[in-house]
This record gives sequence, C-alpha cells and structure tokens, in this order.
Amino acid sequence: MARLVVMGGGVSGHTAATFAKKWLGNEHEVVVVTPNSQWNWIPSNIWVGVGEMSKEDVVFPLAPVYEKAGIDFKQAKAISIHPYGGEKSDKEYITIEYTGQNKEGQVEELEYDYLINATGPKLNFGATEGLGEGSTLGDHTVSVCTADHAVHANLELQQIFEKAKAGERQKILVGTGHGMCTCQGAAFEYIFNIEHEAKDAGVRDMLDIKWISNESFLGDFGMGGLHMKVGGYAVSSKIFAESLFSERDVPWIIGAHVNKVEAGKVHYELLDGTTGEEEFDFAMLIPPFTGVGFKAYAKDGSDITDTIFAPNGFMKVDAKYDAGAYENWRASDWPKTYQNPIHKNMFAVGIAFAPPHLISKPASSVNGTPINPTPPRTGMPAGIIGKAVAHSVCDLIKEGENAHLHEASMAEMGAACVASAGKGVFSGTAAAMTVYPVVPDFEKYPGTGRDTDYTFGEIGLAGHWIKHILHHMFIYKAKLKPGWTLIPE
Amino acid sequence: MKPEERNFGKNEQFNYTMIPGGFARKMRTCVIFQAFRFAVINIKMLVVVSKSH
Repeated sequence: MARLVVMGGGVSGHTAATFAKKWLGNEHEVVVVTPNSQWNWIPSNIWVGVGEMSKEDVVFPLAPVYEKAGIDFKQAKAISIHPYGGEKSDKEYITIEYTGQNKEGQVEELEYDYLINATGPKLNFGATEGLGEGSTLGDHTVSVCTADHAVHANLELQQIFEKAKAGERQKILVGTGHGMCTCQGAAFEYIFNIEHEAKDAGVRDMLDIKWISNESFLGDFGMGGLHMKVGGYAVSSKIFAESLFSERDVPWIIGAHVNKVEAGKVHYELLDGTTGEEEFDFAMLIPPFTGVGFKAYAKDGSDITDTIFAPNGFMKVDAKYDAGAYENWRASDWPKTYQNPIHKNMFAVGIAFAPPHLISKPASSVNGTPINPTPPRTGMPAGIIGKAVAHSVCDLIKEGENAHLHEASMAEMGAACVASAGKGVFSGTAAAMTVYPVVPDFEKYPGTGRDTDYTFGEIGLAGHWIKHILHHMFIYKAKLKPGWTLIPE
Repeated sequence: MKPEERNFGKNEQFNYTMIPGGFARKMRTCVIFQAFRFAVINIKMLVVVSKSH
C-alpha cells in the first residue's frame, strides 16, 4: 500500500486528493493535511465582503466529506519536509502540527511515498509596513482573502454606508497593498461590487471610490493584459478596463507600490519614482503572496530548504528558472508536470509551485523598486493542475516509476473569469472573460500571444448567471455529491 | 447631456476612454439578449475548458 500525502485542502489540493482517492481506491492511502477545518469557495468571498452572502454560504466542513471519500484528514499545518528520512529510518516524512481535532499543538511525523504540496500562499501582510504582521491582517485595512476577512470587511463597509447615509462624505480605496502583489482580479471584482451596492443603498454620490494597483496599465491582471474580442474588435484589456472604470466614475492610481499604511492613509511610490499619499475611510488592499515557509532537512538534519524551494518560498518544479531577461522568456519555460526536479515523488500544485518568472513585463521604479504584478495561479488552472498531478501520482503508484506523467502547462490551458458587480438575477452586471492560454505563447499566436477566438470578454447579466451557477456547481463538486467527477475544473 | 457623456468631464483619465451609450447599456440587462449571450459564453467557456484538459 502506497501513501499519498496532500498538504493543503484548497481548490488544487482538494481536487488532487479527491481524484487520487477515486482512482486509487482502498488499495492505497490518501492523507490530506490542512490547518483549516472548512473548505472555502474563495471567489464568492467577494459577495460576503459586501453582505450579499454569509460566511456559511461559501464554506463547508471538510471532515464529513473526507470521511465519506475514505480520505484520512489531519487538521494540522505542515512544518517541514524530510525527503531523505531521519535518524530512525530512510523513509521520507513530513512533520505536522495539529490545529484541531482535539490535538492542538501536537507534533507528528507523517511518512509518505508521494507528496503533493498544495498549501496555497502565505498572505504576507507583513511585507508592507502597517498592512499587518506576518500573515495577520492589520487594523487599518480590510481583506477578502478568507471568508472571515470578508465578513469583517462587510461589517466595516456597512459602517461606511451608514456614515454616508448620515451625510458624511467617505473615501474608499481598493487594490493592491504592495508592488509585488497578484490577484488584482479579486480587488477588481470587489471595487465594482462596492460601487454597485453603494448605488443600491442610495449613497453612491457620497462616496469617492478609487483604485490603486501595481499594474503598469489598467487591465494587466498579472497576465500582461490580454487582447479580447469585443463588439467585433480585438481590444486590449487596457481599453476594456479603463472604459469600465470611467463608466462607473472610479479613478485609478497604477504602477503603485504601497510601502506604508497608517490609519486613514497609504503611502506609495510610482514607477516614475515619485511618491504620494492617499487618504481613505475604508481600504481593501490585497497583500503580496509568498510560500508558507516550509523548511526542508537532509538526513543529517542540515537545512536543504533552498534546494527544494525558490527564494519566494514556493516549491521548485519542472520549470525553466534560468530564462533570464524578458526578451528570452518563452511559453515553454512554464512547468508541465509540476514534479520537483530532485525528488521525483514530490509535486507542487496551484499557488504552491514556483513560477519561472512573471507573465507581465517586469518593471521597476526609477529608484529600483520592483513594481509589477506576479503571476496568478488560482481558480481554473489550480483545479486542472491538481487533477493532472493526481493522475500522474496514481499512474506512478500503479505502473511504477517509469509511468507517463500528465501535463497541464499554463501556456496550454485557458481560464474563465467572471467578475460580478452586484448579485441580482436581473440587476447589476458582470464582466465574463476567458483567456486562452493563460501564459501568452507568441510563437504559436504571433501578435497577441493568445487565441482571440477564445480570449474574449463582455459585460452583462449573462455573466451574473454564470457566476451564480459556478458558485453552486463548484461547491456541489467539492462536496463530492453524485456526478461530481462530471463537473470540469 | 447624455448619461454616457457626463463622466468624460469629471476626470482627465476618463476623458481618453470609451464609455458605453444607452443602447449598449440597455443590452447588458436585456433578458432576451442576455439569454442568447449566456448560451454563447457558455459554449465558448466549455471549448476553453475542453482545450485545457
């Protein structure tokens, strides 16, 4: 009997664990180690953050789902990896520290035959002075990165609306809280949901809503922007996004590295080297992401973390990490199998793998401060990668070490994104977008780097309906209800 | 002043963009048109999903 250990129970880890168990059956063991007791459909946190959904609408307990699937669930955080074993044995293991199941604080060694790292990111609020400490959100801003953060964000937002109703003009600032952030899409969706809710509440005229981001142009989204088919034109996402912001009276600050947050004020540096301040009454700033901070040790106890993890804390996989300057970047730099190059029984999926480089064109201020979005690896790509890696591990277990590894390069896969503005079935609108491929391939698609037949975006009610369907469909799938395997990632 | 023209004067940034007019905005919430777009978007998304697996 082989044991697969999956570290992390988010979109990618949950997908990998559940498919692996389905394919492996009871002959082999699948263990999920995650510090969270609940699964969270993160895209709907946006609706929690404006009070359109409750926390309970976007989370469910993992334990009963894993019990039904026959997956061993350990509510614990992984601390270190020992790929050569330890003093007692040569068997690979990880150390974990329980966060629940009435074993809080207990440390355990967990042996594995195959390991999938799907921890997601550390929310690195501490990277920006005043934004928070370590992975803990500070007092001056809010976040929608977790369901609890979103609940808190809504409570703060409703106070802003109450003040606006009382005739007090309010300033709202939404965007990224550091020059190296990703997930601009979440902030993008949140700002337009706030704008929509403010109109519904009759307080839009009392709010000054502003966007601040590290993108060098509006609509970069960490993917270097995209060209989409809109109204018969092939249009840059810059034009698409600027139109959306202008229509809704939301001015923007771009190319900004937020370097300090204090009560009611952010300080930032722009690409041209100038600095500025922006006051706010309410601010939602996405933090930068890093790896969760695993350590790796050799058999003699020496630290080998840097051989397995990149400096940003994400796990090295089969990517080309020495591509060099932007001019040398190729779609083929991106990983296909997500296998660690040294330890062939170790994989990283979702946000946990180290990308070879940015997707957006690198940029830094004249002072040398890097200000560019880092690559998004969430949602649809995370699920597809998790499933492909689960397939590979199952084949390795069943067919041996020479089994064919399944591939899921972000340069050969697309992504669908629906950014809502409101939640009503007949009111509000949503921007529905697809991009194919996520990482542009200028050799295959000279010009825009993408297939413009399948890279498109439009605004309307239809996007709303799709967002509702996705919410219910993916939670249904994650709960492993009948027919769950038929729902694509 | 038409609604779509109002924001151009509010901000220098807005002045160099395009803002949808009444017809475009109406079509965004027209249930019949959006039902058709819903079908089209879903088909395109399914193609993208199938090409990605």
